[in-house]
Formats: sequence, structure tokens, C-alpha cells
Amino acid sequence: MDTHAALYEQGLARIASLRKLAPRKSKTLQQVMEDHGITRRDFMKWSASISAMLALPLPFSTLVAEAAEVADRVPLLWIQLAECTGCSESLLRASTPDVSTLIFDYVSLEYQETLMAAAGWQAEENLENAMRDNHGKYLLAFEGAVPTANNGAFLTVGCKGHTGLEIAKKAAEGAAAIISVGTCAAFGGVQAAAPNPTGAQGIHTIVDRPVINLGGCPPSEVNIVGTLMYFIMFGKLPALDMFNRPKWAYGARVHDNCERRGHFDAGEFVEEFGDQAAKDGYCLYKVGCKGPYTYNNCPTERFNAHTSWPVLAGHGCIGCSEPDFWDTMRDFEKPLGQQILHGLDADADTVGAVILGVTAVGIGAHAIGSIFAGKHEDK
Amino acid sequence: MTKETMLYTRDLIFSAIIRVCHWLRALSIVALVITGFYIAWPFLVAPQSSDVLVQGWIRMAHEIFGFILVAVTLARAYLFFFSKNNIERRSIKDVISPKAWFTQLKAYLWMGKAPHSGAYGPLQFVTYMGISVAAFFMCVTGLVLYANVYHLGLGGLLWEPSAWITQMMGGLAVVRLWHHYITWVFIIFVLIHVYMAVWMGIRFKHNSVDSIVSGYDYHPHHDEHEGK
Ligand code: HEM
Ligand code: SF4
Repeated sequence: MDTHAALYEQGLARIASLRKLAPRKSKTLQQVMEDHGITRRDFMKWSASISAMLALPLPFSTLVAEAAEVADRVPLLWIQLAECTGCSESLLRASTPDVSTLIFDYVSLEYQETLMAAAGWQAEENLENAMRDNHGKYLLAFEGAVPTANNGAFLTVGCKGHTGLEIAKKAAEGAAAIISVGTCAAFGGVQAAAPNPTGAQGIHTIVDRPVINLGGCPPSEVNIVGTLMYFIMFGKLPALDMFNRPKWAYGARVHDNCERRGHFDAGEFVEEFGDQAAKDGYCLYKVGCKGPYTYNNCPTERFNAHTSWPVLAGHGCIGCSEPDFWDTMRDFEKPLGQQILHGLDADADTVGAVILGVTAVGIGAHAIGSIFAGKHEDK
Repeated sequence: MTKETMLYTRDLIFSAIIRVCHWLRALSIVALVITGFYIAWPFLVAPQSSDVLVQGWIRMAHEIFGFILVAVTLARAYLFFFSKNNIERRSIKDVISPKAWFTQLKAYLWMGKAPHSGAYGPLQFVTYMGISVAAFFMCVTGLVLYANVYHLGLGGLLWEPSAWITQMMGGLAVVRLWHHYITWVFIIFVLIHVYMAVWMGIRFKHNSVDSIVSGYDYHPHHDEHEGK
């Protein structure tokens, strides 16, 4: 295909230009992989699976492999704001580190609070240097929401007491591209759940250019690394969906690729956790699965080196990659129609039924009134 | 016992197409409320075979009645604005007249009667307008949901606008929630609507309910042209 051919050329040119830059790591990727017992064959399999995941045809897998090898030329700054570090952890703490995890290590990580040795003034200095030295070139990843109320006073980081708001804006200025890793950075996450006293928001609301949102609490490691690989390969943003999430990862609903979908359409549902239907692997819709409202590739990519994902493990999807999911996807173990409305302590159907009852009483009263009101006579 | 004779005129107030639209709307709304609530909380026991798609069939019925409602909603909007007969549009005159509202509300409270300029009373007109807007909203959100359950054909064509609406509303869950909430508007409307139609016919001795079947209403005939 023509567009693919053009994209391939673009990728080749980009990698050639990256190759000219000095490596920032002392070891090559090959050496790193050897240290971890990952064979060339594993690596090629990984490259093929990443290109398939990015919806690119197979020839692109060599490009993925080359891009991985020059990944240490691309400076990456990873800034943590109001967050729980779960996104970093999901990426780093895999029990069997696969190529994705290694690549993350291998990218030239200029600043990452969880991983770096520096602390205090030294850490602050590292961040400033990294931003200055790589100005306009670095890839910027955010983890966590940015509190904006009271001018950002609800979050200060580091010995200089800068607010998250200041840090985020400053870092965004010199970035070549910005990725919001996880639902908090993308949409505010739990910090932004109602009533959101700190005014927490997704990063895209405070910077005036496109941000790639990787929804998910946490997003799977392949979605994070896939996005990094795409940027390294092509130096630009992938096609994005309605909430600026990469289409290759968030293009389809969980529900549409779920292994329990056959049971959904057949009307076979788990009624409560642990019942026979649950043991038979029936659909989790009635115990609150939000797969029908959630765009993500969990059913196909799964988590922890493709081992499992929530619905396979027996709990419904909670919609964690969607904006405001803490509010809109409540209650996590009830279907959406039975969501308890704030302040009313009842679901919409109860409220509806009460209004209906009141209406019926009103009608009855009016009908009785009509009996006593006597007849209307024309003339 | 005194016996009075009164003369009545028989007037065509609802054209055939309007009556057909009314009953198609009534049918589809009832079917949509039932199948919709089933989709929200599926309660039938499945026949232990994935060859019988219980949920699938009910969703299909919901979608078919949904498309009927979409078609009728569009046709009805067109008729309201562009129909040659202006009997419906004439009611706008009453809606903007405080006096018409006042006499109308009094008539509901058993005091006097309320002559109309067009087919409807002011409160009635506003309610119907509201229910039409609600139907339009259900059609839009329904089509957004449809684009997500079927991705080819019409679903595919609707994908881009649906994505835009989903984004505006804040996610598919919000679309679905509002699709569920507004369902109640129809249920409550139907109850009031049926009561009012029957009550009007009894109290003011005209053909309220029958008129949407036959098209004709009858009104007392007055020699001096004071009433309508
Ligand atoms: C008066 C009109 C309508 C009513 C009362 C109604 C009611 C409902 C209800 C209660 C639900 C379930 C929501 C939940 O899960 O809580 C639903 C779902 C749905 N409705 Fe409607 N609806 C109406 C019109 C439409 C129209 C015009 C369409 C367009 C084709 C449509 C398409 C759908 C679809 C596709 C779903 C989701 C089915 C699924 O995900 O399996 N609806 N509707
Ligand atoms: S378990 Fe959830 S995602 Fe899977 S088919 Fe059922 S409702 Fe859809």
C-alpha cells in the first residue's frame, strides 16, 4: 500500500537520523538482552508482535527492531505528579521482564523519580539540566493528574517547592511530544473524581498542544512501550481517537473483543460472584462489567506478558481507560442502569418509579376532583 | 328530564399521515421501553445454548423499533414545519399568550373551557414539543450506541459523528446513562397523555381519543361565530 510505503520511508529516514546521534547508554540493546537471557529470536518475535499491535504490516517489524536498537538516542523525561506510581510499577515490576520492560529501561531515561538515584537538590538539578540540554528534542511522559485549584497549591514537588502545575507547564515547553501515561495524567483519574476539591485535571487541559492519552489504571505495558516505539520510529503522533488515545490500542470496545461475548449475546449471565454461571465463564454484565462502554485492547493484549486481564480473571471491566470513570462507571459491581445517584441514595429506576407513582396519585386526585366538579355544560 | 338538542360540526383535525405517525410512534415507544429495560437488566433465563441469541434478538428488536422511531421523528418534524395545513403551527399563538395559558390551566381545574387557536392547548403543545425533543435525543444517543454495536454499513457511516457526540457527552457510559434516564420521561408521559386525552373527551364532550384514530373531532356548533 502506498501510504504504508511512504510511512516506511519516513521510518527509515527517522532511524537513520537517530543513528547518527551518540548513544546515551554504554551497552547496546543486544548486550542488554544477552544479559537478561533474551535471544535474538525472542527479540524478533517481539518486534513482529509490536508491529502487529500498531496495526502495521509485517515488513515493519524490521523497522521496529531497528528503532528499538536506537531507542537510547531519544531522551525521555518522565514526570510524576499527583499519582500512585502504579503506572510505572506495572511497567517495571513485571515478574518476568520481557523486551517491553527492557526497552523502557533502554530508552534514554533522563529523569524518572522512581528509578533515579539522585534526591533533593541533586534531583532538581538533574531535571533542570535534562530540560535544558535536550530542549525541543525530548519525549515527555506524565504520570498523574495536575491539581489546578488555588493555583496548583495542592501539589508541590521537590526541594524548591514548585507546584505540579508549574513543573508540567515548564516541561511541556521544551518537549518534542507529550504522552500522558495512565488515566490520571490523561483525564484526572481518581484525584479528579467528584467533588474534586483540588481541581485535578488531565495534562491536556493545561498545555496548548496535542497530548497522547494512554488511558488505563494502569495502561498495559505494551500500550506504553508501543507508543514510545511509534514515536521513536516515526517521530510523530499516531492516529488518535476521540479522547486522543492511539487508535491502534483504543480503537475497539473491550466488549467487542471479549472472550465472554458469546455468552452476552446468548443471554447467559453471571448472577452473583461464585455461582455456577461464574464457574462456566458466563458474561459479567449483570455483575457490573463496563466492557460495553470502554475502549481498550485488554482482551487481546492482556497484562503481565499477555498472561491475563480482569474479565478473564472473573471480575467485570471497570472502564478504567475512560474519562471520569470513577464517576461514570460506578457502581463497579452493578450494571450502569443501577448506578446510585449522588445525594439521592437511589438509582434512576427507583427515582423514575417514585415520580411515576406521584404522577399516578396526582391523576387519581384529578379524576376524583372531576367527579365532584360537576359537569361542564356548553352554553 | 329536559332534553336538549345541540348541533355538532365534524372537522378533520388530523390528516392520515399524522395519525399513522402517531401510532407508529406509540408502538415503537412502548416496544423500545420494554426492550430497552430488558437490555439494561436482562432477566430471561437463557436456554443453555449459544445458538439461541436471547440478548441478540432483543437488541435486534430494539434496533428495529429504534429505526422506526428515527424515521417517524424525522417525518413528524418535517410535517410540523412544512405541512400545508397549519393547524399544528397555529397553536404557537396560544403558547405565547399568557391569557391562553391562564384559561387553559383554569379549564384543567374544572373552571370554564379553553378554546384553542390550533390543534393543541398551550401546555399540551409544549409537552408534545418536549416529548418530540426527547424522542430526537433518544434517536441521537440510540444511533451513537448503534454505531458501537454494529460497525459496518450504517453503523460505519455513523461512526465519525458518533465519536464526536460521545466525546461531547464525556464517554459512552454517559451516553448510555442518559439514554436510560430519558426512558422514564416516556413512561411518565404516556400515563399523563392517555389520562388527559380521555379526560378531555369526557369533560368537553369531544372526540379527543377517537380523533387520532379517525382523524375527525366534533365540536358544538354555534350560530353566532363567537367560539372556534
Ligand atoms: C423512546 C425511545 C427509546 C427508549 C425508551 C430506549 C430505551 C433504551 C434503554 C432503557 C436501553 C438500556 C440502557 C441501559 O443499559 O441502561 C437502551 C439501549 C440501547 N438503545 Fe435504546 N431506546 C430508545 C430509542 C432508541 C433508538 C432510536 C435507537 C437507535 C437505533 C436505540 C438503540 C439502542 C442501542 C443500540 C442500545 C444498546 C444495546 C446494547 O448495547 O446491547 N434506542 N435503549
Ligand atoms: S464480560 Fe463484559 S466485556 Fe465481556 S461480553 Fe460480558 S459485558 Fe461484554
